[in-house]
Amino acid sequence: MIGKMLRMSLVSVAALSLSVLGAQAQDGQYGVLMKTLSNPFWGAMGQGVEDGAKEAGVDYFVQAVESDQAAEPQLNVCNTMLERQPVAMITAAINSTNLLPCLKAAQEQGIKVVDLDGNLDQAILDKEGIEITFRIGSDNVAAGAQGAEYLVSQLGADATGAVLVIEGLSGNITGQKRAEGFAEKLAELAPGLEIVASLPGDWDRGKAASITNDIMTRNPDLVAIFAANDGMALGAVEAAYAAGKGDQIVIIGVDGNSDAVKSIKDGRLNASVAQLPYLVGKQAVENVKKALAGEEVPSDIAVPTLVLTQEVLDDGSEPLLEYVK
Amino acid sequence: MSSDLATPGVWTRAQRASVERLHIRLESLLVLVALSALMAVLSPYFLSFSNLLNILLATSTIGILAIAATFVIGSGGLDLSLGSVMGLSGVVGAFVAVNLGAPSVLGVFACILAGGIAGYINGQLVTRAFVPAFIVTLGMLGLARGLALVISGGRVIYGLPEFMLYLGQGRPFGIPMPVIIFIATAFIAHCVLAYTRFGRHTLALGDSESAARAAGIRVERQRRILYTLSGALAGLAGLLFSARINSGDPTAGLNYELTAITAAIIGGTNLFGGRGSILGTMIGALIMGVLQNGLNLLAVQSYYQQMAIGAVLILAVFIDQYQVRKESRV
Repeated sequence: MIGKMLRMSLVSVAALSLSVLGAQAQDGQYGVLMKTLSNPFWGAMGQGVEDGAKEAGVDYFVQAVESDQAAEPQLNVCNTMLERQPVAMITAAINSTNLLPCLKAAQEQGIKVVDLDGNLDQAILDKEGIEITFRIGSDNVAAGAQGAEYLVSQLGADATGAVLVIEGLSGNITGQKRAEGFAEKLAELAPGLEIVASLPGDWDRGKAASITNDIMTRNPDLVAIFAANDGMALGAVEAAYAAGKGDQIVIIGVDGNSDAVKSIKDGRLNASVAQLPYLVGKQAVENVKKALAGEEVPSDIAVPTLVLTQEVLDDGSEPLLEYVK
Repeated sequence: MSSDLATPGVWTRAQRASVERLHIRLESLLVLVALSALMAVLSPYFLSFSNLLNILLATSTIGILAIAATFVIGSGGLDLSLGSVMGLSGVVGAFVAVNLGAPSVLGVFACILAGGIAGYINGQLVTRAFVPAFIVTLGMLGLARGLALVISGGRVIYGLPEFMLYLGQGRPFGIPMPVIIFIATAFIAHCVLAYTRFGRHTLALGDSESAARAAGIRVERQRRILYTLSGALAGLAGLLFSARINSGDPTAGLNYELTAITAAIIGGTNLFGGRGSILGTMIGALIMGVLQNGLNLLAVQSYYQQMAIGAVLILAVFIDQYQVRKESRV
């Protein structure tokens, strides 16, 4: 009976694997290693990779881990990807060091390495002797700065009042860069706007809502909130409206995801600095193809970010809007 | 392929006894062999020496944590702080070696000591403050992770000295150092649990604390040693991972406690204590490692991977329990 059950289970596992497997590996594949797929940002980037690969006519396989915190699992996945001997590895590392041994091994095997979304640190790569083909992504410091520019454009350079910054997960470089970019630019453009608190919201909508409540109680003169991603910005929006202060506080998020777009259209969220992950994924594949063909490719490809507001969305003439998913 | 899926019934009593003398359950070994055969059929990349090393390397940190889990769970305890303590230890080691510029040996020592101290605190609280192990170690899970983030400022501490790197990246005879250290640790731990008085006391404690006490075992002292050992092993895992990636990563080992406990349970450790063997746990860890590796080679999407891993966990423990109940009925 056990044998029968075991056999049945193995057959079903095999069937499951085959059904999601698609094409088996061949030579000349591009390996794409994401952080996780359970997030619209990475989903859009995956879509961009897929469309880019289809248009360029290249074969690729995508892998990811269960969360954007699974550093060692991602390294293990990276190592197994090398067994398939891809011609290029397009990697979105979870942090600046977790993939180093794998990237080194890839380089030794003559595989081209690409930094997707700019998670690697050039100084560390130099010390490890790893040469990447190029890095591609949006500039998170610039995205934060754009948020500050938008805020100042709304309130004016002489405005005064309290500002709350909701950071990402403690220790996450992306969230840190966005918060830093925002803070620096704000201090430069409108010194009267004071950041009274900068707290980690852990990318969590509910946590961001609680933080907003707490700070609104402490600082009744709160005029603006900058959240390092849209999910947290939307949490802040809910808390601000629930407290009856929705139209007194300017709330800005980052990412430009579909929930945020909807909220902006409804006139609740004021703005989101949209990253264009779809474009990042697509251009990554296109540039790898160029590099493999021996063409010159810039070592640093910055994909622009776009401030989404109700006006921009209603107007609809901005060409980059096509890539906001 | 069907010969790989032989039912337990075809084993003679003598064959079974000779395997079980090694303190492992036949059923989990069978699952491992069947799973490996399946992966070998499905992926042309599975059966190679370099991939075998991949599996062992990927299993080394989880495997060491699973050894710790086997000791603690075997004694009727629980350590939920394993993954966080691993993260903390790696950061402490990197901090000592990089930020303080201390010699490599001190960095290595600091990793294991940091883990040992965290474990010792767990042990003290469990035995002296009478807080349940679940709560103590859950609290330590948060404390250790938070402390790791505080010490590192939330960023990885990069650039370990040469000797520490060797422990993670060296390859004597082509075998990665973490694999060698993992196997050596498992061998020692197996001997301790299976053949020493300390090991017998550990399992006796898990079987019945009152009986162990009546038999003259110093229960509290034994528990304190076990939690300290568990923390120190988490420190060793933290050291190996840090050395692999040349940095102390404050998020290392997130959720690893559950994977480690899972490996121990698949390997036949009783969740409520009294039964457990390191060889069994190693098979459990390898089942998880082979499954993960195979699914990665097949480029199965991570959503399905989680489902497959969950299913195999239930299946493996079901087979094990089925056998236990059948034997107890005879």
